[in-house]
Amino acid sequence: MAETITLDAKTAAAWVGTGTRATTESTAVRWLLIGITALFLGLFLFLPLAVVFATAFQKGLATYFASFNDHDALAAIRLTLLAAGIAVPLNLVFGVSAAWVSAKFEFVGKSLLITLIDLPFSVSPVVSGLIYVLIFGLQGLLGPWLAKHDIKIIFAVPGIVLATIFVTFPFIARELIPLIQAQGNEEEEAALTLGASGWQTFFRVTLPNVKWGLMYGVILCNARAMGEFGAVSVVSGHIRGLTNTMPLHIEILYNEYQFVAAFAVASLLALLALVTLVLKSAVEWKSKQQAAEDEENWSTA
Amino acid sequence: MSIQAVNVTKKFGNFTALESVTLEIPSGELVALLGPSGSGKTTLLRIIAGLEFADSGTVQFDGKDITSRTARERQVGFVFQHYALFRHMTVFENIAFGLRVRPRSARPAEAKIRAKVHQLLKLIQLENLAQRYPSQLSGGQRQRVALARALAVEPSVLLLDEPFGALDAKVRQELRRWLRQLHDEIHITSVFVTHDQEEALELANRVVVMNEGAIEQIGSADDVYNRPATPFVYNFLGNVNLFHGRIDQGKAYIHRQETGHVVYVRPHLLDIDRVPNGGDHFGARIKHINAAGPLVKVEAVTEWGALVHVEMSQERFRYLQLLKNEAVFVSPKDVQVFQAPNGAAFKARGGAS
Repeated sequence: MAETITLDAKTAAAWVGTGTRATTESTAVRWLLIGITALFLGLFLFLPLAVVFATAFQKGLATYFASFNDHDALAAIRLTLLAAGIAVPLNLVFGVSAAWVSAKFEFVGKSLLITLIDLPFSVSPVVSGLIYVLIFGLQGLLGPWLAKHDIKIIFAVPGIVLATIFVTFPFIARELIPLIQAQGNEEEEAALTLGASGWQTFFRVTLPNVKWGLMYGVILCNARAMGEFGAVSVVSGHIRGLTNTMPLHIEILYNEYQFVAAFAVASLLALLALVTLVLKSAVEWKSKQQAAEDEENWSTA
Repeated sequence: MSIQAVNVTKKFGNFTALESVTLEIPSGELVALLGPSGSGKTTLLRIIAGLEFADSGTVQFDGKDITSRTARERQVGFVFQHYALFRHMTVFENIAFGLRVRPRSARPAEAKIRAKVHQLLKLIQLENLAQRYPSQLSGGQRQRVALARALAVEPSVLLLDEPFGALDAKVRQELRRWLRQLHDEIHITSVFVTHDQEEALELANRVVVMNEGAIEQIGSADDVYNRPATPFVYNFLGNVNLFHGRIDQGKAYIHRQETGHVVYVRPHLLDIDRVPNGGDHFGARIKHINAAGPLVKVEAVTEWGALVHVEMSQERFRYLQLLKNEAVFVSPKDVQVFQAPNGAAFKARGGAS
C-alpha cells in the first residue's frame, strides 16, 4: 500500500516496535488474556480497595470522621508518623552512604555488606521484631542493664522505631547502589580537579545525579515504614494510645468488631498507598527520562 | 609551569602500570604521551593530576614536590576522554563550576564569574549554547565545553586524557587544529595522552613514546619518526619492513637465516627497479598493487619468501608501469638496524642480500 511506503523512519520504527505479524496473537487470544488480567486485578486489587472505602463510609461521613476523633486513633496516627519520620531520614543517610561506599570504593567484604543490606527483605518480619525483643527485652541480652537504668525500648516507642528502621533498611540503598555504580567516577573526578571539596562534590555532583532514584527509594521506604505490621507488632505490646501504630490500631478495632472505625483508619493507609503509587509512577517516569538522556549522552559521544 | 616525574612506579595488583618512569616537561610545551593501550600513559597522566597516586617516586611542579598533594590542591586542568560534563548542569554552569566551588574568600563576584564564563564561551565558539544541557550537544561541542571548564580555573597545567578519542575523524581533525591554536595563544603547559601516532606527531612539540610501563623515547616528531631509538618506536610509528640480518664492518646483510640483528626499513625508503641499479638490492616478485591515494603501495614477495611493502610516488609508479607477478629488484635507501631482540640502535647505510 502506498501509505505504508511513505512512513518516515520514526513511525516505521514505532510500527515495528508494536509487534510484527509473527508475534501478534489472534484477537480472541488477546481478549482472553486481557480478560484474565482484568478479572484478577478486579478481584484482588480493586474490589478490596472498594470494600475498604465502602465499609469506611457505610454509616455516613459523620461516623467516618468521628472515627478519627478518638484519642487512641489519633495517637496511632501520630506514632506512625513519628516512626516513619525517624526511620526514613535515618535510612536516607544510611542508604546514601552505603551506596556511595559500595559503588565508589573497592574493599574486602563489600559483597558481604551488599548481601547484609538485603537481609531485612529475606527475614520474616516477625523474626525482625523478635531480634529486638531478644536484645532489648527484659529477658534479653541488654535487658537487665536497661531495666536498671530505667530505659524502655521494648513495648515502647524506641522499639517501634528500631523495628521500623530495620524493616525499611534496604529500600534506599538498594535503589541507589546500581545507579551510582552505573554513573562511574568521572564526574566526581572532574569536580575534584576543579577544586571542589568532598562535600561539594557530593552535594553538587553526585546527589543531583541520583535525585530521582533517591526520591523513588524514599517513597517506597516511607510507604513501608507507615504500613509495617509484623515486626512492629512483636515489639509494640499493643498498649492503646501509647504503642499502637495505625496498622496495629486497625487490627485491634477489627477484632473488637468496630468495622467502620477499623476501615476508616484503613482507608487512610489505602489512601497513602494510592498517593505513593502516583508519586512512584511520576518519579519513575522522570528517572526513566533522565536515564534515556544519559544513554543518549554516551551513545552520541 | 614545568612538570617533573621522577622514578614513578605504579602497580595495580600484579600488573605494573609504570616502572620507574622519569620525565621532564618544560614550561609552556605541548607534549604527547603516545603508546598502545596498557602502556601506562593514562596512569602517568592521572598521577600528574593527582587522581592516582604513585607507589614510589615523586611528582614536581616547577621543582616543588607535590607528590602528596590531592587533585584539588594541585590546580590542574583535566579533560576526560568522555568529557565528564556535569549532566544536570547547563553549559554555563559547567564552566562556572570551578569558580563557584572556591572558598568564599577566593570566590569571584557573580558578575566576574559571568564575565569569565562568557569569555570562555566565546573562546570555544559556543556563546549561543550557554543554556543547553550536555545531552543536547554534539561530541565535539561537549569536548570544547570540557576544555573551557578546565580552563576556567586558570590552571597551571592542562592535562588531556585521549581528548579526541571518542570523536569521529573529521571533528577530531578540527579540534586538533583548534587545540594547537589555543596552545599557541595561551602557552599553558599541556600534556595529552593518545594512542594515535598521527595525532601525536601533528600536535605535539615533543612526543613521549611509552610501552609496557616505560618510556621508549622522548623527542620531537621528527626525532621519533626519523630517528627512532628502539625497535618498538620504529614499529609503532608508521609502517615498517622487518628483516633479519647481521652486521659486518658497518654493513648490514639481510637473509632469512641470520638472527643476530633486526633490520628495519620504512616502505617509502625502498626503491623498486626492473634492472639492478648498481647498489645493494634483492630480488622480489610483485604480489599486489594499491594505487589509490597519494602513494602507491606495492606488496612483493622476496627471493626467500618474505613479504615486503614498498611505497612510491604516483609519478614513479607511472614511469615504471609495474604489473602484478612481475620480477623486480628492491633496493633500500636507508635502513635502521637493532640488535635482536632489543638493543642499541645504529645506522647502517644500504643493505645486501
